Amino acid sequence: MSSKQASLLQGTLDLLVLKALGAGELHGLGISRRIEQVTLGTFLVKPGSLFPALHRMEAAGWLSSFWGESENNRRAKFYRLTRTGKRQLEVETDQWTRVAHAMTSALRAT
Amino acid sequence: MTLWSRARSISRNLLRKQQVERQLDDEVRVYVDMLTDERIAAGMSPSEARRTAQAESGGIEQVKQAVRDRRVGTGLELLWQDARFGLRQLRRNPGFTIAVVAALALGIGANTAIFSVVNAVLLKPLTYPDADRIVHFYRPFPEGRREEASIPEFRSIQQQTSVFSEVAGYDAAGPGFNLTSERPEQVHGIHVTASYFRLFGAPAILGRTFTAHEDAPNGGKVVILSYGLWQRKFGASPDVIGKALSLGNESYTIVGVMEKQFVPMPEADIWLPFQFESVSNNLGHFFHIVAMLQPGIGLSQANAQMKLAGAGFLHDYPKANPAQGFAVESLRETIVGDSRKSLLILLGAVGFVLLIACANVANLLLARATGRKREFAIRSALGASRIRIVRQLLIESVLLAVAGGMLGLALGFVSMRALLAISPAGLPRIGEDGSAIGMDWRVLGFTLAVSLLTGILFGLFPALSASRSDLNSALKESSSRSGTGFRQGKARSLLVIGEVSLALVLLIGSALLIRTFVALQGVGSGFDSHNILTIEMSLNGERYHEAAGVAQLSRDGRDRLNALPGVELSAAAYWLPIDTGDGLGFQIVGRPVKQGCCGGRWMSISPGYLNLFKIPILRGRDFSESDSASAPGVVLINETLATHLWPKENPVGHQIVIGKDLGPAFEEPAREIVGVVADFHNAGLGHPPLPLMIVPIAQVTDGNTALYSDSQPLLWLVRTRNDPHQYLAAISEQLRTASGGFPVAHIRTMDEVMGRSTARESFNMLLLSIFGASALVLAAIGIYGLMAYSVEQRTQEIGIRMALGADRYVIRRLVVWQGMRLALVGVAVGVAAAFGLTRLIASFLFGVEPWDPVAFVCVPLLLTSVALLAVWLPAARASKVDPLQALRAE
Repeated sequence: MSSKQASLLQGTLDLLVLKALGAGELHGLGISRRIEQVTLGTFLVKPGSLFPALHRMEAAGWLSSFWGESENNRRAKFYRLTRTGKRQLEVETDQWTRVAHAMTSALRAT
Repeated sequence: MTLWSRARSISRNLLRKQQVERQLDDEVRVYVDMLTDERIAAGMSPSEARRTAQAESGGIEQVKQAVRDRRVGTGLELLWQDARFGLRQLRRNPGFTIAVVAALALGIGANTAIFSVVNAVLLKPLTYPDADRIVHFYRPFPEGRREEASIPEFRSIQQQTSVFSEVAGYDAAGPGFNLTSERPEQVHGIHVTASYFRLFGAPAILGRTFTAHEDAPNGGKVVILSYGLWQRKFGASPDVIGKALSLGNESYTIVGVMEKQFVPMPEADIWLPFQFESVSNNLGHFFHIVAMLQPGIGLSQANAQMKLAGAGFLHDYPKANPAQGFAVESLRETIVGDSRKSLLILLGAVGFVLLIACANVANLLLARATGRKREFAIRSALGASRIRIVRQLLIESVLLAVAGGMLGLALGFVSMRALLAISPAGLPRIGEDGSAIGMDWRVLGFTLAVSLLTGILFGLFPALSASRSDLNSALKESSSRSGTGFRQGKARSLLVIGEVSLALVLLIGSALLIRTFVALQGVGSGFDSHNILTIEMSLNGERYHEAAGVAQLSRDGRDRLNALPGVELSAAAYWLPIDTGDGLGFQIVGRPVKQGCCGGRWMSISPGYLNLFKIPILRGRDFSESDSASAPGVVLINETLATHLWPKENPVGHQIVIGKDLGPAFEEPAREIVGVVADFHNAGLGHPPLPLMIVPIAQVTDGNTALYSDSQPLLWLVRTRNDPHQYLAAISEQLRTASGGFPVAHIRTMDEVMGRSTARESFNMLLLSIFGASALVLAAIGIYGLMAYSVEQRTQEIGIRMALGADRYVIRRLVVWQGMRLALVGVAVGVAAAFGLTRLIASFLFGVEPWDPVAFVCVPLLLTSVALLAVWLPAARASKVDPLQALRAE
């Protein structure tokens, strides 16, 4: 992944992960799959960017993690939103909506 | 991101590293496993599923590394890794490491040593509350300044309430007091005004300080003790207040004990109230004035006010010296005096030594970095960024510098102590033999800062140049031959030139100081100082406020001393010939009174003084016992005074009136000049003899006698046939008996006194010589190192030259010339710099000019010869290269 794409994705990826966990706790692959699903297959998040993001957001206190059983009985690390994370999801959703709205109207203008 | 969660992450990442790593590994592995499960469930064969899952995930190790890179605390961890790697590197090259650490320890140690003195003398604040508002009064004159003041001047300063909130007076040094208990002992005691303790913010821990009533004339005999004396003499007994203290057989009532923290200004064990007649018009100058500035008043405002007050004073007292003015300076300035400049110069000089050491170390590092070129090339080929490599090298040099700094700290301390033991520095505020010089946060901070700074200074340049290397060519070159590029060669040459020029400046400085010291030693003092003892005795009591009492004591004492076996001669006086500190004006009888005419140094002596010091009488006669108080007044003058005022005639037989207009107690009739004594250095060896009047101790006015008894001890002088120390007990015993039980103190030989009179010069000379010698050695090592390295690098080239027919002399000349060119450029630069810089030490020189041709010729010659020696060794090795071997080695 080139650095340009990474920087473009930086904010988006955080928001997508927060959103994916908004519905409940998930393990790494689960988050990947959920993002793929909710973006209708547009974003395929590879572990090379997923895990650094997860660890970074955990260090920031947005996520917490625990080891649990997966659906097919593998011991996996699960992530869930903390209270700060939930607040962060709201803030970032707001921001994104505003930016998206502004971009859309900017691009529509003739 | 909250601070808490970040801190928790850092501590977890750093402290429980293994667990974190294991969990990361599990997490990524499970991801791939689960992806594989998915594929198998979708119908792929297990092996195919695992392969594609792994490929799609992008490699477990890479994912883990990506996480690690983002992890908080990674920076710290990398730093730690680099430091450990650096330590391993340094341990692997013990020779290199020891050389560098030793050079730095020397440089940093010398700096720490000097800085600890600078700290004690210049930086530490005085320990009084509002110490920066305390100022000291002095009288500026066109030709200098006087720090003593008179009572009318004290009154005038007291009236300046707009600028001063408090004014106090105290004795300069005090005469000393005789504790006459069962074991007599002389203690430091000074007279102070009642305001003294208020001004210095010094509370009594027992009793109280003086009242205004006690400070007035006839205020009673009261005394305040220092904490130390209270502990020592009274065993810290709390009911000491009201008890009697016997001073010079007179009883004083103890009214207070000062707190331990109070640092007396000046040194004192006891304080007595001044009790001077505050309305007195006596113009004798015998004490010091300090004042506390009003809050918000600056020094310049105070001095503007002092200028007016000084003019007003001259108007009110037309008999005062018209050349004088009034001024104040901060008390710290007064105490530090002219030692500031010499200390700063020493600090600058020692900084030079450190710079030279840094240049040497940088050179070593450059050579080493060249050898490690391949290592860096490989590291950067494996993806290390340039910053990472520079950081690695910087960490190594900071490690070296910190090791050198720690060693230097210890070294500096030990060496400063040793130095002060060899040569008392003659510096204020350093305590008895430098006991006040110690370790505090300033010294530690200074050493730490210097260490880090030097680490970066000598490390940055080699680091940058090493990391600049061209990857491709560095990897291609064979490791041993990855030679010195042109740029590096130039850098190393510049470092050597710099070293040589700094060393030259230091050496010229030390040469000038050595010549000063030798010149001082060569000065004929004008008197003989061998086998003479000087002994102090404080004269306490009413009896010694009159000349008759002092004269009687002097006669009795001398009779007893002269009767001792082994004693050749004895005398009593208040001044030693090397420093006759007092001055008085006089008028010549029969000549018109001229404003500002006639003054000189003034001293009183007993008969025998001139003989004892072997000071010849050029004309007329010496004093004898018959020049008593009742006999006609007589005076001796020195040659300088005689030729100044009687250039063409014999002054013997003329009459002068000394100390006119000082006040009734100082009035005396005209004295006849009965002789002219040969000049001796009466104001220190470094100054020409000043005009001097000498009067018999028996003929001094009572006013002056009282002033002397109250302000300085009497000196007994004894010349013995051989080493005077063996007669000490007998002499002390006789003096005690003669004085009715007064103890003797501060017994020194005159030779010791002479040594102390040049203590500052010898201290500066010794230090600068040590610095100069270190600089010389360091510079020589620098040149040697560069040339030895260059010869080693060019072995092949030399082999080819020889194979092509160059003989050994040509090769040797080639190498010698290459090295000497650098040395000569350095010498030239250094000479130019020294011409500019030696002016800074002009005021410390005696008998030699700052551009002294001897120093400016000899030092460059010395340095050039040492450089030649340093170059000769590698050159000799180069000329012994066996061309066959050199070529085959490739």
